Amino acid sequence: MIDFTAMILTVGPELWLVAIALIGVLVGATLKDRFNSVSIKFGALALFAAAAFSLMNYEGGEAFNGLVRTNTFVNFAKFVSYVLAGFALLTSEGFLKRHGTIRYEYSLLILLASFGMGMILSAADLMTLYMGVETLSLSSYVLAAFHRDSAKASEAGLKYFVLGALASGMLLYGASLVYGFSGSTEYAVIAAADPSIGMMFGMVLMIVGLAFKVSAAPMHIWTPDVYEGAPTPVVAFFASAPKMASMVVFANVMFTMFGDVIDQWQLIICIIAGLSMIVGSLGALTQTNIKRLLGYSSIANMGYALVAVAAGPELGAGPLLVFLTLYVIASLGLFMGVLAMRRKGGMVEGINELGGLMRKRPVLAIALSILIFSMAGLPPFGGFFGKWEVLSAGVEAGLMPVVIILVLASVVSLGYYLRLIKIMWFDEPTERFEAVDGPVTITVLLAALIAGILFLFFISALSGWAGTAALGLAG
Amino acid sequence: MAVIAFYLIAAVVLVSALSVIMARNPVHSVLWLILAFFSSAGLLVLIGAEFLAMLLVVVYVGAVAVLFLFVVMMLDVDFVELKRGTLRYWPFAVLVGIIFAAEIVLASVIGTADMETNFDASPGAETNAEAIGQVMYTQYLLLFQMAGIILLVAMVGAIVLTLRHRPETKRQNIAKQTSRRRSDAYELKDPTPGQGI
Amino acid sequence: MDLGLSHFLAVSAALFTIGVVGIFVNRKNIIVILMAIELILLSVNLNLIAFAVFSGTIAGQVFAMLVLTVAAAEAAVGLAILVVYFRNRGDISVENVDLMKG
Repeated sequence: MIDFTAMILTVGPELWLVAIALIGVLVGATLKDRFNSVSIKFGALALFAAAAFSLMNYEGGEAFNGLVRTNTFVNFAKFVSYVLAGFALLTSEGFLKRHGTIRYEYSLLILLASFGMGMILSAADLMTLYMGVETLSLSSYVLAAFHRDSAKASEAGLKYFVLGALASGMLLYGASLVYGFSGSTEYAVIAAADPSIGMMFGMVLMIVGLAFKVSAAPMHIWTPDVYEGAPTPVVAFFASAPKMASMVVFANVMFTMFGDVIDQWQLIICIIAGLSMIVGSLGALTQTNIKRLLGYSSIANMGYALVAVAAGPELGAGPLLVFLTLYVIASLGLFMGVLAMRRKGGMVEGINELGGLMRKRPVLAIALSILIFSMAGLPPFGGFFGKWEVLSAGVEAGLMPVVIILVLASVVSLGYYLRLIKIMWFDEPTERFEAVDGPVTITVLLAALIAGILFLFFISALSGWAGTAALGLAG
Repeated sequence: MAVIAFYLIAAVVLVSALSVIMARNPVHSVLWLILAFFSSAGLLVLIGAEFLAMLLVVVYVGAVAVLFLFVVMMLDVDFVELKRGTLRYWPFAVLVGIIFAAEIVLASVIGTADMETNFDASPGAETNAEAIGQVMYTQYLLLFQMAGIILLVAMVGAIVLTLRHRPETKRQNIAKQTSRRRSDAYELKDPTPGQGI
Repeated sequence: MDLGLSHFLAVSAALFTIGVVGIFVNRKNIIVILMAIELILLSVNLNLIAFAVFSGTIAGQVFAMLVLTVAAAEAAVGLAILVVYFRNRGDISVENVDLMKG
């Protein structure tokens, strides 16, 4: 007997998204090109509805014979991911239209990728996890190569595919060992199983696979290339919603499946975190392409987030959510900023081309400066509080070496963040910028408002909320 | 007897897998891949997982390998040119590979030493296929549906990336064809002599 | 000597390694890299089925079936991306995948 109530309570938003995507396939097949720009608005609406849906079922539940189980921890992440995915989709219309690549399949792929995000967040079984990861990854590979006539985009797609498939293979091989030695694919049974050496080996392989998905070093090599080559709206999507979802899934897997053997993986996560912070902040220093620079900066930020993971479920879960939420909002805002700068004949992607932005487009320049400061973690802005929470979680857990690396990496990262600010505010203007689309500007301003001021109103609520959300893990 | 068969087939699997990555010609690689799949199916038959053995042949040889062959033939690449100079990385790669494999084998074998086994290829059913069928659409319904979604993603993705509507290719438009009337097709003119139309 | 679980695990570990090495060693042809990925998935399947049969649980066999489906989907997407790449660049050798560096 199928329990529909439990299904809706647990994976309602995902079922909704997949239903919309299937309807979209049919409508698109009938209307063809007339559906192209409508599909983007409908898709974004569906994503916002899914976000609201995940708040309605905030407490979560269990369904499909234990294949999926949700709690407040993952529902919080679902909400943030869906909202960001909605914004990322809504703002892509102008860019795709100008490049002549607007097709309704774009919205479908974003919807299906979001479905994958929801499923990995809801997963309580290795099989659900794997199927969700593959849904997300396969749609991401296609999205990265979506500008199929651009050599760079197809190269980005190819690199992403080859390395991503390798990482999926590692994750899968690890999952097979974990299954074999624990005798079950359910998280709960695995958590209770006796941790044998074979199972630990499987766990390490799974960590490697998951580290790739969140672009943590040493599995980060794809990130700068994909960020540079893929179409900007797609990168804005990659850098926001799936980042949030994959990182929370990483934490969820470590906390619920391997929570009892934290001694075994804490060091590994610390090493990955330290490496990511070092590689990310040093790599970004020499970049001349904004998208590439943001790619390296996201590697470093994933390192900061991993410190929270290493701190363990009691200390790290709440700070992880706060940090990630503030980070992905700033990240989406910055990519929207890249999307908002356009000159005759193409997008502005070189750092030096930003010169004189302050004089030409003061509002945009101020908004971007706020976002950059927030991402750098300077005190009056939102990002600082996220980083602060992670830092204190790391200190409390006694992970001094990575905490020191965190502080040093933040100082180094100031170097390239301030360089961006300097170019925008003080350098001579080059050419004039062209007008941008409404949704993009609104998103940049909204993100800057949140990172600059609005976060003050909900930072305590957010910490409290994230704290109670993290309690969902224990229960 | 089963052990001898196992060693024979396993040797074929590994040799053909090595040949896949070492063959000079990609067409040969695909053929070696097919052999690797076939012999892996043989390994599965040895332990009674007949249904998956059959599926392996159907899906991999029938779909995946043919797809590979199709693309290899379609992309007109000078393969002799491609393969020169690959030897540079081999010694290092082989070393790392052997260490890596030894580690996994060690971890697996140590792990299985004290594991209690309960050999049963079709738990709770007469045949292997029946055992899978009993859970596929009940306990694992969600995964079955998700597999469908993944295939949809692959289909949409492959179409969006590779399908091109060429204006110069002629296509059949059935609606247009059947709605054509005699009056659309020709008209009668009555040209007067010496003037033309 | 009886046919045991460790026999299968050893074969599958070797197969997995061949697949991983195949990805890194191959500097010339991307199609072979895609085949190496298929080898990795094959090794996972062997692993899963061996574990399932020797422990008498059905989950591993179902998992293997799902992996099989995903492998087919992955091959389709991978080859589609490869075809797009070939159309843009005119060749598929790994050493030329270098538009972006740094």
